Amino acid sequence: MTIPVLEIRGVSKSFPGVKALDDVSFAINKGEVVGLIGENGAGKSTLLKVLNGIYHPDQGGIFVDGKPVIISSPRQAFDSGIAMVFQEQSVLPTLTVAENIFLGREEEFIRFGLISKRRMNQAAAIELAKVHLDVSPATRCGDLSFADRQMVEIAKALSLHSRIAGDVTILLDEPTSVLEKKEADLLFSIVRGLRDRASFVFISHRLEEVLEISDRVYVLRDGKCVKELAARDATVKDLHQLMVGRQLHHEYYREARQTEPSLTTVLEAKNLSKSGAFSNISFALHEGEVLGIAGVIGSGREALARCLAGHSEVDDGTLEVAGAAVRFSAAFDATAKGVGLVPAERKVEGLVAPFSVTENMTLAALPKFVSGLRIRFADETRVAQQWIERLSIKTPSPNTMAGSLSGGNQQKVVLAKWRIAGVKVLILDHPTRGIDVGAKEDVYDLIRDMTAEGLAIVLLGDTLEEVIGMSHRILVMRDGEVTASFEAAPGLKPKQVDLVSHMV
Amino acid sequence: MTSEARARLQTWLPLIVLVLLVLLVGGYDRTFFSLGNLMEVTADTMTLFLMASGVTLVIMIGGIDLSVQAVASMASCILAVYLPQLGILAIPLAVLGGTIAGIAGGYVSTRLRIPSFIATLAVSGVVLSAGNWFSETKSVVIPGEISQNYLIWAVGDFLGVPNEIWVGAIFLVILSAILGLTPFGRLVRGIGAQERAVLASGIDADRIKIAAYTLSGTMAGVAGVVMAARLGSGSPTLANEFLLPAIACIVVGGTAITGGVGSIWRTFVGALIVQVVRIGMTFVGVSVFAQQIVFGFILVIAVAVTMDRAKVLIIK
Amino acid sequence: MKIAAPAGGTWIKQWRRWAPVAVLVGLCILIGLFNSNFFGLSNLIRMLNTASIPLVICMGATFIILMGSIDLSAEGVIAICAVAASMLVANDFTGVAIGPLSVPAAIVIGGLIGLLNGYIHVKFRIPSFMTTLGMGFAGIGVATAILGGVMVRISDNEFRNYLSLGRFLDIPAAVYIAAIAVGVAWVIQERTRIGRWLYAIGTDEATARNAGIPVDRTRILIFGIAGTFYGLAGALSAAQIGRGHALISQDRLFAAITAVVVGGTALSGGVGSVLNSVIGVFIVIVLTNGMILMGIEPYVQKGVQGLLIIAAVALALDRSRLDVVK
Repeated sequence: MTIPVLEIRGVSKSFPGVKALDDVSFAINKGEVVGLIGENGAGKSTLLKVLNGIYHPDQGGIFVDGKPVIISSPRQAFDSGIAMVFQEQSVLPTLTVAENIFLGREEEFIRFGLISKRRMNQAAAIELAKVHLDVSPATRCGDLSFADRQMVEIAKALSLHSRIAGDVTILLDEPTSVLEKKEADLLFSIVRGLRDRASFVFISHRLEEVLEISDRVYVLRDGKCVKELAARDATVKDLHQLMVGRQLHHEYYREARQTEPSLTTVLEAKNLSKSGAFSNISFALHEGEVLGIAGVIGSGREALARCLAGHSEVDDGTLEVAGAAVRFSAAFDATAKGVGLVPAERKVEGLVAPFSVTENMTLAALPKFVSGLRIRFADETRVAQQWIERLSIKTPSPNTMAGSLSGGNQQKVVLAKWRIAGVKVLILDHPTRGIDVGAKEDVYDLIRDMTAEGLAIVLLGDTLEEVIGMSHRILVMRDGEVTASFEAAPGLKPKQVDLVSHMV
Repeated sequence: MTSEARARLQTWLPLIVLVLLVLLVGGYDRTFFSLGNLMEVTADTMTLFLMASGVTLVIMIGGIDLSVQAVASMASCILAVYLPQLGILAIPLAVLGGTIAGIAGGYVSTRLRIPSFIATLAVSGVVLSAGNWFSETKSVVIPGEISQNYLIWAVGDFLGVPNEIWVGAIFLVILSAILGLTPFGRLVRGIGAQERAVLASGIDADRIKIAAYTLSGTMAGVAGVVMAARLGSGSPTLANEFLLPAIACIVVGGTAITGGVGSIWRTFVGALIVQVVRIGMTFVGVSVFAQQIVFGFILVIAVAVTMDRAKVLIIK
Repeated sequence: MKIAAPAGGTWIKQWRRWAPVAVLVGLCILIGLFNSNFFGLSNLIRMLNTASIPLVICMGATFIILMGSIDLSAEGVIAICAVAASMLVANDFTGVAIGPLSVPAAIVIGGLIGLLNGYIHVKFRIPSFMTTLGMGFAGIGVATAILGGVMVRISDNEFRNYLSLGRFLDIPAAVYIAAIAVGVAWVIQERTRIGRWLYAIGTDEATARNAGIPVDRTRILIFGIAGTFYGLAGALSAAQIGRGHALISQDRLFAAITAVVVGGTALSGGVGSVLNSVIGVFIVIVLTNGMILMGIEPYVQKGVQGLLIIAAVALALDRSRLDVVK
């Protein structure tokens, strides 16, 4: 039996509130291409960060050529023969192609204390030839196209195998998401051509590609490795099934409380486009409706949510609130029209952590609590107290620092803030991220309460089940476009696998 | 240390330090404790406090205002030049000069999105030129009788207390009220603590920030007026050497350079600390020049102690 | 649909790269049209001479700004080094007279203060503008305290000649020294690891760290290198006026930052070059010279520099890269 070039055994990694990796093991043999797939939040990124030395596993070990290694930094990973091509590019636009490829490893080109640019460029040219990228090594990376920069990133990773002794593993995290079909094909032929010298881990949401390039595929779900299968025996449909595989709990998502939305349109998007993010998005949102948006990272749904709340501007298309066209260039434009955002980054955009619960709750509606120049403190505390009771927020007092509450209670404070401000439309961007199960159910109850009172909600769920369970209607996005739309009345909810097939 | 214990320490430590310093200096020289002397020390501190009080607001939003010494100097020039012609109106005019400089700094920093230290440094260059223009690069003396007529509110006594102290106390109360009671004050704290959350709550943070810079410039103008009144002249370099002590007394008072935490009375305590340290050093025989060195280091140490490092991942 | 970031107008990029040069050329032509003396040989040499000390200072300041930091201590460091240099050559204050060795001594002192700046900034995690603000004031204080408010007169004429006043081909020695300093700075920037690393750190510190670059060490070292340039500038200042005193560097910092920024080096770090700063220095010098030729009061200069900083930063700003500005 051959010894795998890279193996991980029983790796677990927890973050407050989630177990991101749970006893995961897998192995890569020399010259093998291994696919790694899973839904958002299944643990792929965490696993890669563990392999790249950015996170350190709580349990389990990493073995290179059968020997245990400890990887505590990306540089150390590199020296152990593991290179990563990042999803968000790490090519520095201010340096040249050659300088980027050899960043931090300039030693070999130094003579008498000075870098020999000529020799560095020659060495870079060899690496560039391997990825068939026809640019001068002296070009500044900022002047390259996005796809070319991606190729430089790949060349940087591939340069590893000519630099160190021993076998090399290259981790490709969504390398094709910015590439044209032709470039992706080129990348695949390069990967195949290098198999005698390197092994690859290939992560992609494009399952056809995963099956095309990989020898074996590992499927991650909820931090566990649920299946290992040979690529030639598998179909895209099998993978879809494996990626989801959980049952919906009708009660969990309060489906019985799902009420029929009214026919009054409160928010309507017509052909909204933003370059680099999404294009031609149209939908109508009604009073009392939850519109779910499903999509993987990079589908453009996060950018869409931010544009709807005025956090960034659309390039094209019109947005109407209550029938009147609006243009949002800042968040205060949106709040003035009654549109609020519950952001994914609660501690950065949701709360002012050192502020008290009261101060946070009234932040978006401060003028309501001002007489003359003075804030009516008693008044705002009274209102805060009402909402603390109404949403059963667990806090010692309204004057407690909001940052010291638990995640779920913090999220309720954010919701109360928008309720006090009297918004008509609420954009919920991952409202249950990082909060425990009980608090999640509370949030679902609150969503049902709000729709019952006529609020309209756009929901970017943390999981697919959440979107399906909570929404009246679901838009599925892929690569910046709406690929499907589902009605999701109670009892007639679409299946996850139906959605997934439009997502990836 | 828990964050609450830390907050409590940051609130009370400056006051404890002040008391200890006063006892220390008083130990050297008993006359220091006399009521008259203590009032004089406090009165001497007021120009520094006035200048620092406005900057406190800017530091609380997480910015900095490096233009205040140039602004105070310019205000002193405007006052000295126009007092003989305009009489009492020269006072609001001088303060208005500061207000405009503050608006300029705030506008450049927020709307043009230039880091505040560079924006206010650039504005201070312009202000310095303006001060030179008003005074024709000279020191302008305010004639004694004019000073008696118009500036007595700043240099005389009232109920046996020097008027500088009354002026300082009035602004201490006004600014504390603005910070503690108004929505503006709350948003200043909020922007310093977590600007993105304030923005996301639909608040025009730029307006608040410009207002903070405006108050800073205005207070620098007031400081310049009081300074000119005390010295009986205005000059384009009148407030030189004031910037560093001003920032030092804000930080020493326990206002964090990272924003969000602070108050005007802390700056008041900080200003007294700086003044007592200065007196103490003079007692011990440290030269006026060497005192700058001490303030330089006090500043760096105080920043290191009060800074909230959890908030900034990359420090440039 | 393919999602790709907008390629960004290369035309605009090219324009941004060459704008400072265009501004310099335009200024020269404009002033030359108004005043024929401007292009006279003696005026050109005078401008070169005036530019020499700012050039040396800017080499150091540029490195720091390329890292995304700022150094407000230049005046203090220059003052200390100028006083030290003047006290080490034949003078009326101390009995020491080590002659030419005073130049490396000043450079070493500058370098050590720079290292201290960097060390405090990095190890205690204090923003550089604060560290260097405190250090700058302390520096002026030290220089004043050493002298007790008096001035040192230099009696070593060789020192003054070789470093500043002596002329070769009609051009003062200071200009040659500044040219060498620019050359050294350029080699550091282009041909050494630390030069490349400071760009990486200024562009994206996290990525630089991930690539295995010793970010903290590099930062401290760059502050040290900047200090050596200030040290040289201190020695040059002492040689130029033949005296050493604490206010010798007055207004140098402001002019230096103006020059770096006007030259096109971005305050956010990563973009720019020491050659940009050379152009920037000449923009500031030519403008000042032009104002003098046109009879504008000298005190207006600082105001104009202030406006230049604002204009240059506002024009060069890449708004897409910014989030919250403090």
